[in-house]
Amino acid sequence: MVEDFGQAVVSNGGNATRFCLTLRAEPLELSWHHCGVTSDFLGEYFSRSCGRGIDAVDARHSISYMINEILENAVKFRHGGDIEIRSSLEEDLFEIQIVNCVDPETATKFQTHLAGLLEREPGELLLERIEENALNPESSGSGLGLLTLMSDYGAKMGWSFASERVSEGVELTTYASLRLA
Amino acid sequence: MEISTNDYRVWTEGSAIHYEGTMRLSGTDAYAPILEIMHAVLEAKPEVITLDLTGLEFLNSSGINLLAKFTIEIRKQPDVGVRVLGSKSIPWQSKSLRNLQRLHPALELTIS
Repeated sequence: MVEDFGQAVVSNGGNATRFCLTLRAEPLELSWHHCGVTSDFLGEYFSRSCGRGIDAVDARHSISYMINEILENAVKFRHGGDIEIRSSLEEDLFEIQIVNCVDPETATKFQTHLAGLLEREPGELLLERIEENALNPESSGSGLGLLTLMSDYGAKMGWSFASERVSEGVELTTYASLRLA
Repeated sequence: MEISTNDYRVWTEGSAIHYEGTMRLSGTDAYAPILEIMHAVLEAKPEVITLDLTGLEFLNSSGINLLAKFTIEIRKQPDVGVRVLGSKSIPWQSKSLRNLQRLHPALELTIS
């Protein structure tokens, strides 16, 4: 079964510049540090393919920021296995899909979270979540990454949960796209 | 007071707190030592606290949460003012620092 939330589609076509990367989980365990290194590398790569009229410094940062936030979630909630990154740039549209496996319980919790998140205006929800986090000393601050991307970067986000594609757990694909300025 | 690693440096000079480098720590616990430094400045109840971010190239969302949390702490103390300095050449600052002002309208934000 496949369940989609938000904008779980890609629109870049055959003329797009593409870069795909699989982060192999074994034998070296993926660490937090890999998120930053990978996202900086892809930000640098795509900023060099940007056409005229796109601010390369802003593109480099925005792409790196976006990949880092999604990859941090993938590493944090990963239920074993590899992490696949498919990214493309066509004219001013950057798109990314990050695929990883999560356990069924995490998938259900995340789906509830997403249903609530997609009903609201991201900027308002971001401030509300910050106030809640400040009141709760136990809060991990999680949930702000996606909201920051949607609110501050104008990113379009989507999520697709496929429970039959992997033998154990749920395959989660996170979609994100960004109009580069 | 100072915390220094290969990736970033945070230090205080009087009531000014300076940040430099790339901060991508894994969550609230990892950011706790930095928040401690910031709280120590707030506890002295200065007239104005300056957060100088002009050297901070990258801050992940957990780090943005840290700045927001501290802004709310300052908001609770009307006698303490706050000034945030950012740089136009660092994209995350133009995109995300305005949120601090929305949390605390008296906060003085300068992005130059």
